[in-house]
Amino acid sequence: MRLARGQRQGAVIPMTPLVDVMLILLVFFMVTSTYLDLDMIPAGGPSDEAAAAAPAAAGRSATMLIRLDAGDRVVWRGQAMTPAALGPLIRDTVAARPALRLLILPSPRASTQTLVAVLEAVERAGAAEARVLRVEEEP
Amino acid sequence: MKLSRSPPRAPAETIVALIDVVFFLLVFFMLVGRMDATAPFDVVPPVAGMGAPLPKGGETVALSPDGRLALNGTEMTREAILTELADRSATIVRVQSDGASPLGRLLPLLAALETLEGASVVLIVTPEAP
Repeated sequence: MRLARGQRQGAVIPMTPLVDVMLILLVFFMVTSTYLDLDMIPAGGPSDEAAAAAPAAAGRSATMLIRLDAGDRVVWRGQAMTPAALGPLIRDTVAARPALRLLILPSPRASTQTLVAVLEAVERAGAAEARVLRVEEEP
Repeated sequence: MKLSRSPPRAPAETIVALIDVVFFLLVFFMLVGRMDATAPFDVVPPVAGMGAPLPKGGETVALSPDGRLALNGTEMTREAILTELADRSATIVRVQSDGASPLGRLLPLLAALETLEGASVVLIVTPEAP
């Protein structure tokens, strides 16, 4: 008499180590991921060369100065104000003189936030051109 | 004679559903997470409502309010950063300046970065809350 042997069962693959590794990876990505939603403002480079050449070709136009003082106040036509108050004034001026060229002269002690706020006001007012004058480096 | 019944077995908990969920979460965090190098000091970018979407890639130069500089998370001097960026032929240089940084530090840095051949310099800002 011959006894029939039962078929061998395939090796069982343990799932527990896989789950462990995946959980560790999951926690790693949850902890190290950042969700900062950041934007940018162009600050110079090859694309600026064409923009720099344009006003020269357009001929002479009125130029006005916006000054940023060390106390983060904006001085426009001799009046000190906040960057928020500057927007409507620039808009009115630009409406009267569409080719107006704005020069921004910042104090070396003025903050980056103030400059960004002024650039934003100028951009929203639709000024044809705005340039930031370089300041000397703080010692 | 009374036959004793074996106690009913609890149904086996299926682990496959758990693995599926964990795997989906893993893929989600891998896709949405940013692995950018952070600055070795605290930097809070200025707030602006007119910013454009930040381009991916490039090199990140961080500037702290007290004038410290870092390239891709490593604190360096300005000269070392400019040399490193020139060697790497960087096409996009992202400047992460603190909103409180004085312009006497930021503007000369931007001017120096502009001299890099073929590099577009952008200033990182935080979008205004809607």
